[in-house]
Amino acid sequence: MQFTIPILHSAVTIMTPLLLASMGGLFTELSGMLNIALEGLLLMGAFCSIIFTHYTGSMVVGTVLGIGATMLLSAILASVTLNLKSNVFITGLATNLFASGLTVVLSFALFANKGVVVFDDIPSLPLLGTQALARIPIFGDIFIGHSAFVYLSWILLALSYFVLYRTPFGFRIRATGLHPEALSTLGMRPDRYRFASFLISGFTCGLGGALLTLNLGAFVPNITAGKGWIALVVIFLGNKKPFGLLIAAFIFGLADAFSNYAQGALNIPSDFILAIPYVFTLLAMVGSSIYAKKKGAIES
Amino acid sequence: MLENRNQTNRKLLPSLRSSGGILLIVLIALCGVLVLSLLLSKTPARTLRYFFLGPLQNTYYFGNMLNSATPLIFGGLGVSLAMRSGNFNLGGEGQIYGGALVTTLFAIYLAPLGVLGAIMALFIGASFAGALAGLSGFLRMKWNTSELITSFLISNAVVLVMNYLISGPFMDPSTSLIATRKIPDSFRLSALLPPSSLSTALFFALVAVVAVHAYLYKTKSGYELRMTGLNSRFAKYGGINTRKFIVLPMFLSGFLYGLGGGFAIYGTYFSAIKEFSAGMGWNGLAVALIAKSKPSAVIPAALFFAYIEAGARSAMLHSDVTFEIAAIVQSIVFFLISSEVLLTLFEKKRRNP
Repeated sequence: MQFTIPILHSAVTIMTPLLLASMGGLFTELSGMLNIALEGLLLMGAFCSIIFTHYTGSMVVGTVLGIGATMLLSAILASVTLNLKSNVFITGLATNLFASGLTVVLSFALFANKGVVVFDDIPSLPLLGTQALARIPIFGDIFIGHSAFVYLSWILLALSYFVLYRTPFGFRIRATGLHPEALSTLGMRPDRYRFASFLISGFTCGLGGALLTLNLGAFVPNITAGKGWIALVVIFLGNKKPFGLLIAAFIFGLADAFSNYAQGALNIPSDFILAIPYVFTLLAMVGSSIYAKKKGAIES
Repeated sequence: MLENRNQTNRKLLPSLRSSGGILLIVLIALCGVLVLSLLLSKTPARTLRYFFLGPLQNTYYFGNMLNSATPLIFGGLGVSLAMRSGNFNLGGEGQIYGGALVTTLFAIYLAPLGVLGAIMALFIGASFAGALAGLSGFLRMKWNTSELITSFLISNAVVLVMNYLISGPFMDPSTSLIATRKIPDSFRLSALLPPSSLSTALFFALVAVVAVHAYLYKTKSGYELRMTGLNSRFAKYGGINTRKFIVLPMFLSGFLYGLGGGFAIYGTYFSAIKEFSAGMGWNGLAVALIAKSKPSAVIPAALFFAYIEAGARSAMLHSDVTFEIAAIVQSIVFFLISSEVLLTLFEKKRRNP
């Protein structure tokens, strides 16, 4: 059983980009937009954060600029979707295609390299934790000694709960998803709240992406590898509740950490492991629509 | 004489107006090429020249451009058919790839049967792709699960499984490529415009355009399909079995994508190479969106997309930019192509004169 603690410890790191992306996705989802662009936004955040860190020499500045670039992309996505009245699914696909094209094109333009770019000048992420806390058995082993991103994601989770359920802004975002006409009748513009929630998803995806590359000290093409799609599943499995996201993201983090560990031992082809999130999402979708249909049949 | 001209004008102008939005989007995308070249290239004039003129420069590039338009025509027809019925098929990637692999495997297995074997293999491969898309239609019919998302998810998983099959159990160890064994020589379509890779598959694509057009506009089933897409409730009250037109169009849509994959094998690749079809499915979707789901408009739309890719490839070979600029230009088209504002920009004037 001695391997369970390291698996749990790495699960906490692995789940963090998922948690952050799904948190932003929760805002767009509650405002009534299916945001499939999380994947592209994460990729944008991952690429821009490490590039800016490389050029500014500071992780904090690099991450902030990376988040800025990601929010810019989400603002483009939002204005094309809302102001030009486009189908959000197609603009989301466009965002993903754009991010995967742009990162390769820029990587080629800046480093004459379309593959893995390793940044030797970027130190590994500092790990936080005090001796006193780390000495607590099990809890200390699992939850202490992570990078600032991990703790920041927990603070942001509490903050999103507060914003969504305790502030007028949050009420209006949720009202936008439930009944946009009601909001219009009260003289408010649903599209403004949708725009804001797209920006929020740009912010959290930028942060989550930054963790992916800064943790590695390198940019790998398509480093997100479906994480944005899993973040969507996390939203559905988490029942669209902030703390539900935490549990769902942890389950995926654990599965990922376990498969990393087991890949050698169990000898499962990596293609199958990569396919798991899609199959899982499919089953979750079908399950929830069967549930919705049964529920609808009972109510009517 | 004068009256005659007025009549053509009356017909021509609205159709120009309704495609004005599309032309604007195409123009914006081409401006994107300009901006990208100026930003990224040290020799922007050279990049632009090869991007825009490269594909038309000689028969080799021109033939290759027509050849890469061929699967896009099949894909564009597939998506159009689904969209006409009010369904969305986003699984083109997996359907082309899966259809191609299944066709290849059966072509090798059915080699002794000759032409009959070739047709059977093509049919089986396309039916496999059709079943993948049909499954999404079935899920929507049964439980109202969004076929948009399920077709995408199924396709992503299928692509990975196909990758595994090609690089694992069915890999041909005698080549350095990650690919299956080659199909028999007798199954290969003859080349047009050598040394380019254009083959007679293009003619089959054009036949498919005529066939889909005839199905949609000249048959009862095609009429019912279009009615279901226009107004499902109205169609239902009119006595049309609308449930059928969720599964059938999705199946046909996947079938056409699968044919695109199969013909790409017969005409160009001759064996299923790992990820050979990456991007074809998405481009097929974009083609259908540009063509506004009209079968006849699929041909110019497919040529436009093939042109962007051929241009990017030629600019990469002769200048200092990378091929992925094509993805950025295509994403610009994707961003704007469903915009109600842009698409109706020129139509509004007609409504409020």
